[in-house]
Amino acid sequence: MAFSVLNRRPDSGLGNVRSSPGDPSRNIDWLLMVTLAALAVIGCMTVYSASRTKIGTGSTLAYGYTFVTRQVVFVIIASLAMLFVMSLDYQWLREKAKFLYGLTIVALVLIFLLGKVSAGAQLSFDVGPINIQPAEFAKVTVMLALASFLSQENADSVSYERFIGALWLGGVPTVLIILQPDLGSSSVLVALMMGLLLVAGAKAKYIFMITVLAVSTVGAAVVAGLVDSYQLRRIDAWLNPNSTDPKMQEFIYQGRNALRATSLGGITGEGWLHGTMTNTRGDIPVQWADFPFSAIAEQFGLIGCGVVLGLFGVALFRIWRIAHLSKDLLGTYICAGVFTMVLWQLFQNVAMTLGLMPITGLPMPFISYGGSGIVTFFVMFGLVQSVHMRRMR
Amino acid sequence: MAVDKRAARLGALALVSVILLGLVGTRLWFLQTVQRQSVVDSVSRSKTRTQVLLPERGRIFDVYGRILADNRRVLTVTVDRAVIRRESQRLALFTRLSGIVGVPVEEMQARYKSGRYSQYLPLPIAEDMPEDVVLRLESRSEDFPGVRGDEDWERVYPYAPLASHVIGYLGLILMNQAAEYDAKGYLNNETVGQFGVEKSMEDVLHGDWGQVVYEVDSANRVVREISRREPTPGKDVRLTIDLTVQQYTEQILQTRLAEIRTQTDPKGGLMAKNAKWKDPLNPSAGFVWKFTAADLPEGQSFTDYQNPKSGSLEQYVPYLAPGGSVVVQNHSDGQIVAMASYPTFDNRWFTVGLSGEKFKVLFPETKNPDKSILVNRAIQGQYNLGSTFKPIVAYSALATGIIDPGYTFSDNGSYVLNIDKKKCSEGVRCEYFNALGPFGTPSEYGQVNVTDALAVSSDAFFYRIGEKMFEATDDRQLLADEVRLFGFGADTGIDLPYEFDGRVPSSELKAQLIAKKVLEKGENPKMLVGDNVQLAIGQGLLAATPLQLAGAYSTIANGGFVYRPHIIASIYRSGTPDDSLTAGVVDLSKAVLLTDFSTPELVRQLDMPGSIRDAIVEGLRRVITGPGVEYPAGRYHATTGEYLFDNYDSIPIAGKTGTAQGSKSKPWFDSSVFAAFSVDEASPYTVVSYMEKAGYGSKASGTVVKCVFEMLGGQVAAGPVALSDPLDQTNLVPSLPNLTEDTACTFNRYTDTIRD
Repeated sequence: MAFSVLNRRPDSGLGNVRSSPGDPSRNIDWLLMVTLAALAVIGCMTVYSASRTKIGTGSTLAYGYTFVTRQVVFVIIASLAMLFVMSLDYQWLREKAKFLYGLTIVALVLIFLLGKVSAGAQLSFDVGPINIQPAEFAKVTVMLALASFLSQENADSVSYERFIGALWLGGVPTVLIILQPDLGSSSVLVALMMGLLLVAGAKAKYIFMITVLAVSTVGAAVVAGLVDSYQLRRIDAWLNPNSTDPKMQEFIYQGRNALRATSLGGITGEGWLHGTMTNTRGDIPVQWADFPFSAIAEQFGLIGCGVVLGLFGVALFRIWRIAHLSKDLLGTYICAGVFTMVLWQLFQNVAMTLGLMPITGLPMPFISYGGSGIVTFFVMFGLVQSVHMRRMR
Repeated sequence: MAVDKRAARLGALALVSVILLGLVGTRLWFLQTVQRQSVVDSVSRSKTRTQVLLPERGRIFDVYGRILADNRRVLTVTVDRAVIRRESQRLALFTRLSGIVGVPVEEMQARYKSGRYSQYLPLPIAEDMPEDVVLRLESRSEDFPGVRGDEDWERVYPYAPLASHVIGYLGLILMNQAAEYDAKGYLNNETVGQFGVEKSMEDVLHGDWGQVVYEVDSANRVVREISRREPTPGKDVRLTIDLTVQQYTEQILQTRLAEIRTQTDPKGGLMAKNAKWKDPLNPSAGFVWKFTAADLPEGQSFTDYQNPKSGSLEQYVPYLAPGGSVVVQNHSDGQIVAMASYPTFDNRWFTVGLSGEKFKVLFPETKNPDKSILVNRAIQGQYNLGSTFKPIVAYSALATGIIDPGYTFSDNGSYVLNIDKKKCSEGVRCEYFNALGPFGTPSEYGQVNVTDALAVSSDAFFYRIGEKMFEATDDRQLLADEVRLFGFGADTGIDLPYEFDGRVPSSELKAQLIAKKVLEKGENPKMLVGDNVQLAIGQGLLAATPLQLAGAYSTIANGGFVYRPHIIASIYRSGTPDDSLTAGVVDLSKAVLLTDFSTPELVRQLDMPGSIRDAIVEGLRRVITGPGVEYPAGRYHATTGEYLFDNYDSIPIAGKTGTAQGSKSKPWFDSSVFAAFSVDEASPYTVVSYMEKAGYGSKASGTVVKCVFEMLGGQVAAGPVALSDPLDQTNLVPSLPNLTEDTACTFNRYTDTIRD
């Protein structure tokens, strides 16, 4: 097989080596690690360039190093979290999956109730200075729960009972997140369910069913008035970019300027810290969290975008490869889940920057400013590494 | 395990990813190559414009919540320029508006064509409109398209001109302040505090700007509003000033200065024309001074006076009495209860938009310090303190053990320095005299201890201390170092701008003054014994503010605590509600406290044992109540305040007179000082008065301090504090006179008073 080079198992150790070639610590996927590090560095630079100057008078809105400093701290915390996850055997996590899943559901219910009390969208818990978004961490725990549930059935296709079980397992947190309301994060869980079931061998009609269910749930939530007008206005703004409704101007303006910034970059970009929209005029609100890709596009052009997307391509490919190499089904499913979520979130964020999708507020993996998002994706990559490190036993 | 099928399904996932990334890549390529040029064009056309929303400034209250500085909302009617671009439409709209806003059509047309207003902003057509007019216009937008009411704030001072020097005023940012304010985010056309509390509390009072961001088209017309952030109003500030005391203090100061300027009573210490005078520096030389009109300083002249005793027409020179200041301080915590400075001004002149010429008429630029108005003499005055400094010197000598309370000195009217007598013939001044007594010769007091010396103000006694302390240490700084402990020679840290640091003599200071040409080049740039002897009676190179003097007396009064004087009592969250019953007052019970300054801030504590304090306070009590000393037997020397306070029956006080001699010791340069503190803990006040070129201590400042204490004690009724009438802009005077008619407190049973 031509692709065998990609699937090649590592060479056996020669001579009097101290540990066996199967030792987990000798089997880290370094290429994936390097890619991840490169993306994190690019992310910090992007956050800095996008947040240092913004519209305003005097010093009131010039953020300088404020955001990038926090981002660097987040990356350090996330790296430690990743190392911790790598040190765990993912099989051990299978036993803990139920507990983590239960904890997530409790957190989501709590935050939903809190939102009811404060009569507004409640997305995070404030623990002292830290602000924790359960929806972000739900991505990991739901993925673990689904992967361990599906891998219990050692068959080549998914039985109807198991499909229904998986549907419940993924559906409950998804609905809770829709009700928060955070349509973006819930779409990630839907994508996760579809990706995992696809790899597990679910029939095409099952996957179609998930799509129908997801759309109808969102529809029902909107009709029932559970999704607030803020979320809908963003979709409305995407559909009607020329509307004069004053309430939509913020999103129209934000989206259109991100699109303009992207175009201004051209092939080679306007140069580091020399972007007209990003740096000089600073008129893309919250660019460092919502539209970091437009900052890259404006400053580094098509070439810079190609490099960043290429790095994501390499990372995705390595995850895909580890899914193949995994010694068991659980490992394969974990990799497939991570693959799907990274892919979907990357696509969703970049596509909304490019005007292909409505603005959902989903962060770009590794690049966007935000602690919960950064930690979540580092942990996901830690899980993938854990699968790779323990593929020999 | 059916690995192959799993691989195939993973392949499907890979396929999906390739499709999605391909989609993104294609779109990216399209945007960044094909569409780029058209975006570059449109971006250079579309812009944003940020309009800053100014916050409402915080208000200033007195200690009881009387509103000293307030804001008035001013509504300006504006018209969007797009609506009136066409001549016919403009005329039609202006005609319709004219009757409602009361502005002639011609004036609106003139404004439209005038270059005074920005072409990109709506045109202001009528300022200061009532709210209902604006509401009517805005609600009928079909008849008045593009007409809007813009909100702005105007600073008002409801009790002006009371406490103007303390409250201060607002002004445009000056050239040399531009960088500092720019860094804080100020707009270059904003007004900021330029004096008083308005300046020192600028950061607290100002608040935070809001902003509206508009998208504008290539013609700079607003297309849409992108975002809006409302401004945060500034915080409210409550002062320690009690406006009732403040008003009385200002009135009595002004009244006394005016009386002294116009008095013709020769007993007031005036100089008769052609009369012969002794030089106080050298009385033994006889009557060597004879003044003619040519000797008088600018602005002073001889005035006719019918002498009631001799019946002949004589000529006298009245004092200039150009200005002065009074400080009332609570010595238990250092808070300032009142602070008056004269000449004063009405701070509303700074908000009415005066033209440059009118402003120069009101506040002429002058190099003559007598005429300076925009200066708070209580903290900016650079004064010799005269004999009021003696209690500080007494403490210094007692605390350092140079003398003990039982020490006596034989005062025979003068003091000869204990130096090599050869130097005396070489031009060094060796003999120093007491102030001239009723017989035209230096008074002699005989054996005096420190208490007697304070009571009768014996200069010789303190000359002796000056020399003893000079010789006590090798660096010659013992006395200077001790008086610094009271706060002399350093700013007190009061929350007001432009405070004068003060000056305590030292070798470095002398060198500096010679370099600045304040002292003549020939002066010895070293601290000499003569400098210390002068310092011991509060003359010479010593310079201090009335506030520093008040602080020093407060320290003696409270037993050694040097407090930082405060004029800010507390800071409140903005929006303290007005009192529902009384106009011009806020309801402090509903104020939200943010910062409280009521805890005294101790700068340092002096070691002041009872024996030392009692000796000083006893001397200062005798200044008020007597007795003086008898020397030689049968000749009674009254204390310097005994006659003035003979009919005083209010808060028990201890105090000291002082006469600061001016240039060349000419009598018309004598400045009058009086400092006193209450010895009753129930009313812990220190009052200091300093009146420039107004005569000797007990004649001018003594009366003011006496009246203020009688007012504080309730023997004299302070007038009610009333909201002021609108500013009369036709009458170009800095401030209307504010006098009190009840001057009974300034009299005493004696026609004669004791000098110094």
